[in-house]
Amino acid sequence: MAMDAISSPETASTGRAGTFPSRGEGHPQPRLLGGKTRLLDLKAEGQPNLWLLGGALCIAIVMILSLVLLVLWNGLATFWPKPIAVVTLTDGSLVAGEPSRTATFRVGQEVLATLPPETQAEIAANGGYASRTLYRTGNFDLYGDDFRWVADFQARSKEFPRDMVLFERQEWGVFVGRIASFVRDGRTVPVTDPWADEVRQAHRVARDRFLQIRSIQRVEIGEVNHHLESERLRLRRAALRYPEGSRELEAARARFVEREAFYQRQFEELSARAQALMREHEAETVTLVEIGGRERVQPLGTIVRFYPANDLTFFQKLGIYGSRWLEFLTDEPREANTEGGILPALFGTVALTLLLVIFVTPFGVITAIYLREYAKQGRLVSAVRVSVNNLAGVPSIVYGVFGVGFFAYTVGGSIDAVFFPEKLPSPTFGTGGLLWASLTLALLTVPVVIVASEEALAAVPRSMREGSLACGASKWQTIRYIVLPRALPGIMTGVILAMARGAGEVAPLMLVGVVKLAPELPIDGFFPFIHLERSFMHLGFHIFDVGFQSRNSEAGKPMVYTTTLLLIFLILVMNLTAITIRNRLKRKFAGSQF
Amino acid sequence: MPDTMLASPAEEFPPTEYHVRVGGRGEAVEILNFNLWYGSKQALFDNTLSIQAGLVTALIGPSGCGKSTLLRSLNRMNDLIDGLRISGTIKVEGEDIYAPGADVIAIRKRMGMVFQKPNPFPMSIFENVAYPLRVDGVRDKAFVQETVERSLRGAALWDEVKDRLHENALGLSGGQQQRLCIARAIAGSPEVLLMDEPCSALDPIATAKIEELIDELRGQFTIVIVTHNMQQAARVSDNTAFMYLGRLVEYGDTDTIFTKPKSPRTQDYITGRFG
Repeated sequence: MAMDAISSPETASTGRAGTFPSRGEGHPQPRLLGGKTRLLDLKAEGQPNLWLLGGALCIAIVMILSLVLLVLWNGLATFWPKPIAVVTLTDGSLVAGEPSRTATFRVGQEVLATLPPETQAEIAANGGYASRTLYRTGNFDLYGDDFRWVADFQARSKEFPRDMVLFERQEWGVFVGRIASFVRDGRTVPVTDPWADEVRQAHRVARDRFLQIRSIQRVEIGEVNHHLESERLRLRRAALRYPEGSRELEAARARFVEREAFYQRQFEELSARAQALMREHEAETVTLVEIGGRERVQPLGTIVRFYPANDLTFFQKLGIYGSRWLEFLTDEPREANTEGGILPALFGTVALTLLLVIFVTPFGVITAIYLREYAKQGRLVSAVRVSVNNLAGVPSIVYGVFGVGFFAYTVGGSIDAVFFPEKLPSPTFGTGGLLWASLTLALLTVPVVIVASEEALAAVPRSMREGSLACGASKWQTIRYIVLPRALPGIMTGVILAMARGAGEVAPLMLVGVVKLAPELPIDGFFPFIHLERSFMHLGFHIFDVGFQSRNSEAGKPMVYTTTLLLIFLILVMNLTAITIRNRLKRKFAGSQF
Repeated sequence: MPDTMLASPAEEFPPTEYHVRVGGRGEAVEILNFNLWYGSKQALFDNTLSIQAGLVTALIGPSGCGKSTLLRSLNRMNDLIDGLRISGTIKVEGEDIYAPGADVIAIRKRMGMVFQKPNPFPMSIFENVAYPLRVDGVRDKAFVQETVERSLRGAALWDEVKDRLHENALGLSGGQQQRLCIARAIAGSPEVLLMDEPCSALDPIATAKIEELIDELRGQFTIVIVTHNMQQAARVSDNTAFMYLGRLVEYGDTDTIFTKPKSPRTQDYITGRFG
């Protein structure tokens, strides 16, 4: 019987693996062959397909995990204090710096020729390659570079002296060296221990003074300038509205002269205070000595932070790590964004994403309600639906071009002409800004919301609608009270997707309002408090700028990782919040169909 | 199915002959020569019957005979279907509900409807029952409170839910949900209560409770109930209409229909020879 089946034309002649003898024709399936189990037909079992699918999934997971791990590791390690090595070179000179990374390189012929024969032999044995280490030497103002490669064959010895100090400065990046002395109340105090109380205390005082000067310059003088500017605009508005020589214009002029004098006095008072502080600030200097013995004298207040890198306990390291993170999250950037904080970028990203959600949700949901509930389903609606889906595939830079052309220049230009004629020719809304950027992103992400909302609306059971209509509810009441609440979790899913896409988008933003450095946050104490017309900073653009546009990309690299980590974290937090809200809604409106 | 069944019912049994008008307080709903098409397919053929006020009228018949369609025509729920066409008239208290310009929402408010599957809204028990008042824009809290309680008592659900009125209605059992739907249907003080196989998704105990409830509601509302279950029709209804292939075959006093049906087809159906 079994032999019959095997020689049946179905399996034997066609030889098509995977084709079972059809049951309907009465051929029993062959199972045994000479007492041995028949070889498993892999293709028929579908096993290779399963491996393919599983393998693809594994590759995807491994890629995502390694990306996350890379960003996590580099991002988290950036702020951890690293030791400072002092390398004595073969020519007797010294190099001090944080070892940053090690690489092998091919030694050039002209360099090779200058080396002693035993080193040459060693390199030759290595196939012409040698190893070298990149040191972050800092002291840009003295060396003209932040980093230096030291080849292994150049180094005679390497040690980690306990008195090497790393100084983070307001300008010129880090300084690596020793602290010699500082000036206090006109007398010079020599320093032997960087942890000594007197130097720590002097630093704290000088630092507070520096921050005070900055606050006077930024906040208080900024406020006076703001008032002065608004008085100037008020005069200009009067000049635009009333003819020359009219009573109103004269009154406005008189008022301006009076107010200007008033603010001018305030301004002078403040700048005198700032000047006085500045003199003290500049008098209290600190003398830093680099490893080669060259000195650098600068105000103590410009040192942000300093620590003996090779003489730290674990908790001291932890303290420095924490204080760096705090500065990163709450301060403004310095040194062309490669140091300091990213608060404006963080703020800009959050504000942009929230505005995006505020714009995209009603727009997308209203469109979806019309398309799904009211529009007569026909060719036109299908065409609209296809177009909406295709919009999601348009390159995002195209939206940027549209945003700057339509929103900023056309709409913003008209707003300026009507509402802010006194400020022209400098644009108010007629250029990129937070409002236009969020509208552009809303346009970019609205297809996602429309599609998700439509599906959510369609998934509301018919029985719910009928129940409501049978109670005498109108169509709108049914949608408002029954359909929308039921569809809300699905709509939220669309909004979450839109948010995730919008928060990570950079290309269109570069055209519609993101800048390298925005000194003013879009929210401040001046009426109307939220300034949607202002340009802003964004974490995504910050990554691009620091990593690829800065003077020293090697110095910016750790910042890139940290900023990336923060951006990913931010998107994660926003998504988790939205998902939590969605799940609560889901529980509340869970279906009970049985 | 016997071969004779395949012949056109209209030729075989001129319907009017078997239609009697019994009991009640006069006509609540009058259906006159009502035809209905889904696209090109005709679902109802020239139905004429009058439903008596204050009584329970059961619509019975095999699946697909059009009894649900006829029921849903009474409050114009079929309007939601694309390509629907009708002819003939349906009058509720003398008013033609298919007249041009008739206010569909007002018509639906006069008809409470209970569906095959319980469909409570995903909100609290209280809000479910208050829904017809809410959509009417009733603001008077005391009145809403009172109506909700009266409706829940009317639906024999009050004692079970009075302590958890503000819990989600989806936490109720199937039978309770269906009684909640009945409470919701009567909260708007309708004249007619339409029930579309209200017990088909329920277990026998819940079914018994609903039947008991229908018995209690008799007299307060004109009830039209579609059912698959002939015992149920016999138990709860005063009048019974038997439909077949979109036509009304026989309509009359329930006792008469179940004991001495005039049409042999009705006889076949109620004795279980087909259906």
